[in-house]
Amino acid sequence: MNREYLVELDEVTKTFHTRHFFQKDDVAQRRHFYQKRTVHAAKHVGFGIRPGEIFGLLGPNGAGKTTTVKMISGLVRPDSGAVYVDGLHVERKRLQVLRKVGVVLEGTRTSIWPLTPLENLAYYGNLKNVKGRILKQRARELLNFIGLEEKAQVQVRRLSRGEKQKLAVCIALIADPPVVLLDEPTTGLDVQSSRSIKDRIREMTRNQGKSVLVTTHDMHVAQELCGRIGIINKGELVACKPTEELLGLFSDQAFEFRVDRLPDASEFADVPGVYKVIPLLMEGDEPVLVVQVDSEPARRSKALYGTVARLRERGYTLHSISERQQTLENVFLHLTAS
Amino acid sequence: MGFVLVVKAELVRTFIIMRRYWFRTLTGMVISYGILIMMIVGFVGQRDAIDQQVAVRLTDPEKATNWALGFIIGMFAFGIVGMFSQGLQAMAQNGQLEQLCMSPHGLVTNFLARTVVGAVSNILSSAILIWLIAKTFGGTLHADFVPTLALLALTFVNLLGFGFFVGGLVLVFKQTGRIAIMIRMALFALAIAATDKISEWPIVAQWVAHALPITDAAICLKYVLIHGQTVNGAYSSVFTHPSFYFLIANCIFSTLIGISCFRLMEDWSRSKGTLGAY
Repeated sequence: MNREYLVELDEVTKTFHTRHFFQKDDVAQRRHFYQKRTVHAAKHVGFGIRPGEIFGLLGPNGAGKTTTVKMISGLVRPDSGAVYVDGLHVERKRLQVLRKVGVVLEGTRTSIWPLTPLENLAYYGNLKNVKGRILKQRARELLNFIGLEEKAQVQVRRLSRGEKQKLAVCIALIADPPVVLLDEPTTGLDVQSSRSIKDRIREMTRNQGKSVLVTTHDMHVAQELCGRIGIINKGELVACKPTEELLGLFSDQAFEFRVDRLPDASEFADVPGVYKVIPLLMEGDEPVLVVQVDSEPARRSKALYGTVARLRERGYTLHSISERQQTLENVFLHLTAS
Repeated sequence: MGFVLVVKAELVRTFIIMRRYWFRTLTGMVISYGILIMMIVGFVGQRDAIDQQVAVRLTDPEKATNWALGFIIGMFAFGIVGMFSQGLQAMAQNGQLEQLCMSPHGLVTNFLARTVVGAVSNILSSAILIWLIAKTFGGTLHADFVPTLALLALTFVNLLGFGFFVGGLVLVFKQTGRIAIMIRMALFALAIAATDKISEWPIVAQWVAHALPITDAAICLKYVLIHGQTVNGAYSSVFTHPSFYFLIANCIFSTLIGISCFRLMEDWSRSKGTLGAY
């Protein structure tokens, strides 16, 4: 156990077994009387979240993101490995851990719709052992913090999806936990609501020192919000690095050559150090040659000079050369490609 | 302390919803009353043939009150066990169960509090219904508060244990919710049919009836409220009635088994990854 982390997953593994009767096998096109399937939701997953840090967990559908969140919050028991929250073993000290964790799982479903946001916070506050004046004060503060103060006395069923999501975040924060787990907090929200929730998450870490784990499909949310990102695919943590480092993983390998006409890829295939050549027409029909090169500096230089020489040799006019900016989406697709 | 806090939260929630949806609460009671009156008038009050049959079965001059009381006890059982089976499923579907599972008080405490509050509102509305039915048909009920309260408490504990057992199964095997409906119907029917004549049933049926949580509770409650704790005109306390001992044994047994089963299933459900999900 590493004392540096507020949340730590140590080689956590979780496998689900599902049983199916009379289900059709899509590959064999046959119907089986009984089938047992195994899904690996987590395979030796290990990472930690420091106090005041926003950690992003990215992954395609069914990769194991929600299972990871549920293992931290004690809703799912790992088959092997251990999860620690503030130094407490989640399996052995579950009820104590629950005092330190606030969770938003599919947020809009959390609240009780016939009640108002204030009543919801009072109800969930009691459930989480917060009471009396402290509860009332915290409920008001949270509604102000999230921007729901004007809707404090409106029944939840009358609130918009974004407002319900904001309320779910408030419910997760009512016991003032040092760890907040947010499962897809901005999914389905409009730009304003999404921005508002992202701002509040930032404030939580900066001003209150909370550790936040965000799972999301939205690369922009992750890139914008998270200091470190873990990419999970089929239960395996394929990368876990600071966001900048993750973006830099592949950025030195691709260059864009802007030229006067669309080149033929085969003309550059034999240039030493060049892996792949993709001719593209960018915005405004501007011809661009995307060249993927070796990341080793000497070989990369050789490949770039070789490409320039070849362009001149074939009579192309070179307008500019630029390093291709890598997006998290590209990194994600690269890492999760099967 | 945690239990008190959760009870308070549940009371406030229930009260707010009842107040906010007062029309639904009121019409619910009027409909229950209407259904009861129709059934009593239809099956017991007017049709002579059935009246005679019921009279033979119930061996009681105040058939309507007896039948209605059984019906209301049945509704009570139906409601309590339903909070664990269908209630649990509904909470899983709307996402509230996940939040309850993440409460530091623990799922058992939360459910216990939820059921206590549900039972209180159930008992209050049942009491109003019983009083109304008794007034309508001119039947009399013996308001012996101490034995009635003791019996209601024991009935509740008994149903709670049974509810925890059923709820535990529903946590893991979601499909058992359907079977739970049948069990609830059986409890309902048994509450109406339960009489001292149970000792004349075949031995296996007798044991099954005693094992179910409502049989002895209904017999004892009817004995107090309708018979006024008398046998052939002579006073005989319900605390000496054989069904009372069955009720106590059942309480201890079903509570221990029920809560143990619920904890075990909660644990298993966490391993399966289905806790809080439907």
